[in-house]
Amino acid sequence: MAEREMAYRIFACEFNDSRFQVSSASDAPGQADLHAPNFLVTTAGAKVNRLFIAGVITEVEDIGSQKGGEKELWRARVSDPTGTFTIYSGNYQPEASVFLSTVEVPSFVTIVGKVRSYEPGDGSVFVSLRPEEINHADESIRNRWMVDTAELTLDRLDIFDEALSSGLSGTDLLDHLSLKNVPSNIAEGICIALDHYHTDRDYIRGLKIQVRDALLSIGSSLSASPGGGLADIEQSVMVMLHEMNQGKGVEYAVLVREAGEKGIPAELVEKAVRSLLSDGSLYEPRVGFFRAID
Amino acid sequence: MDERIAPHVEELSRVLGNRYTEEIRAELEKLLQYRVPLDEAKRTILNRFTSRSPASVQVKDLVGGMNGFDIIGRVISIEKKNVTVQEDKRSVFTGSFGDGTGICSFTCWDDMSLKAGDAIRIKNAYTRMWNNRPELYFGKRSVIEKLPDDQLQDIAEMSHAKPKKLQDIAPADVMASSEVVIVEMYHRDISLKGKMLTITEGVIADETAKLPFTSWTPLRGADIGSFIHFEGASIRIFRGLPSINFSDNTTISLIAQPEKLPFTLHSVSSAADPVPILNVLDKSGIFDVTVAGNIISVRPGSGIIERCPVCNRVTQKASCRAHGPVECVSDMRIKFILDDGTGSLHVMLNCELSEAVYGKTMYEAEKMARESISKEVVFDDMKRVLTGKYIAIRGNSSKNEFGVTLVAKSAWCPDADLKGRMDILLKRIEGQVSNNG
Repeated sequence: MAEREMAYRIFACEFNDSRFQVSSASDAPGQADLHAPNFLVTTAGAKVNRLFIAGVITEVEDIGSQKGGEKELWRARVSDPTGTFTIYSGNYQPEASVFLSTVEVPSFVTIVGKVRSYEPGDGSVFVSLRPEEINHADESIRNRWMVDTAELTLDRLDIFDEALSSGLSGTDLLDHLSLKNVPSNIAEGICIALDHYHTDRDYIRGLKIQVRDALLSIGSSLSASPGGGLADIEQSVMVMLHEMNQGKGVEYAVLVREAGEKGIPAELVEKAVRSLLSDGSLYEPRVGFFRAID
Repeated sequence: MDERIAPHVEELSRVLGNRYTEEIRAELEKLLQYRVPLDEAKRTILNRFTSRSPASVQVKDLVGGMNGFDIIGRVISIEKKNVTVQEDKRSVFTGSFGDGTGICSFTCWDDMSLKAGDAIRIKNAYTRMWNNRPELYFGKRSVIEKLPDDQLQDIAEMSHAKPKKLQDIAPADVMASSEVVIVEMYHRDISLKGKMLTITEGVIADETAKLPFTSWTPLRGADIGSFIHFEGASIRIFRGLPSINFSDNTTISLIAQPEKLPFTLHSVSSAADPVPILNVLDKSGIFDVTVAGNIISVRPGSGIIERCPVCNRVTQKASCRAHGPVECVSDMRIKFILDDGTGSLHVMLNCELSEAVYGKTMYEAEKMARESISKEVVFDDMKRVLTGKYIAIRGNSSKNEFGVTLVAKSAWCPDADLKGRMDILLKRIEGQVSNNG
């Protein structure tokens, strides 16, 4: 059974640092399976065939027409707070190419794509993405991607720390990690990364700092986003007002105390009440009493 | 002939650890008679005799198509059957075999003079899929070694193996015992061999999983919310999902002190938190599981489709695979790939869920298709609306040759406490970065 390759979530900085390709059929030379997927092993041990990214598209170039116009080839740059992914889309990705030819720059997009790497021959390696799916997104999708990616990356970096402190390598390390219930693809990736990049604690630490800075960069938009936390609190306030109402509405101080027991701080209750008053979900039958409009 | 192949037989035998010399010779002669090139013949034999599976396995780890492994356990039951294989009358021995991790069915092609209760080690056994489950096979290429009786638990304990958690019921199991709570239950009248019969169906659960059950005997005193202990229930596997069957041979009793169990009716009924998709991929099927992730690809076959009015199959060009040209019924569905960064699986949404997730009714979608004279337009629009979105799905998963599919029972946009998760992550990094530096 050919299992579908899952889509990794990694940040651009880790992706762009990586240059080591493996093929899953590399252990059987001569009988290489043409359909065996190729993987890019990242510096921090992700064994990537397919990626899912969300970011801001900052640049689209029609580089096909520069070379005489016979071949269709688009290059786009999609950035996350740690760096930039390079996207190449040719005539085998007609939908993506049409998308890129019309997309507004800048705007939020999500891309599912396969990893490509190119070696010009001077020892350097350029990694890029060939899109399978590309679509418009919004800030909330991008923010969720950031948090998901940060969480998955940190989980992997923790395993990497574990691998480094074990001092083991090769099959000993694989056995060690599998005893700790580490998924085999991550264990393999970490082994290869140690072998090939000699990734050390400093690098892992640097990556963690980049992840932190990336999270901080969207932090302000998270608390301010109208669809985020406040909507949930508004809803809980509404539920509480309905439940506690005994005909005359609920006293504000009682509401704050009740909310406090549910872990909602007073200033957020106040914010929610003000917002609910303004959109007409609440009214104030007496000063200091609030009642939900059914 | 003999002279020429002798060195090859010897070579193969040596590679295989000086075993099966006579069988290798017979196989090799046969292949050469069929004019198979010598190298290919040797390769074939090596493959057949080499064990590709772990040396020693337990019943809970059996899957279809394993070769040349060892297994230790007890014969729980055995009977002789006469079968006709290519006009040749033969006897086979079938029964059940247990090792404390589970009870599987087996077929033995030769008379090994086994009887119920024997403690044995089977060397060079293999498995095949039979009735959707892996079945243990052994024959004359296998070696049976009788073990001292006191080396294993006694037969009663194995056949009524100690209660298993529902999630530990393996595809190879034919019988199990457990302690569960009934979360759903209803009665159904069926006709069996011309006789009307009332059977009970429903869902049982413990803290690890939920499974469907069918009872062929009345469940006296049990209702939704009852905690029961059952022993010797038979298990059927369909699409990788076990279902529990209570029959006359099952003993069922109400549990006197359910408060000592690690679960309550309430704890098993509430919607579970999403599990990493990786955990779903590990299993051949899960009943009632919740996952969440991004829709990374809306697959062809989504959108407005036509079904056969008789069998509900999807039709091609107004023609059903089983019923020929038919008056088709319109339907809408969405098939997509959900990926959470730990794994990916296929999800199927029926019409109702498609409408909710897609945000357009089937009527609107059909109108859209009519106006543009193409059904593709709905598919394209679905891709535009859904690709990249984050969604939670609850349903049953099953594994087939195309991967793991989750048929959705419900779908929703999960609440995003991104700020809270972010604060946890930041704290985690802060701690590590400063500790290390």
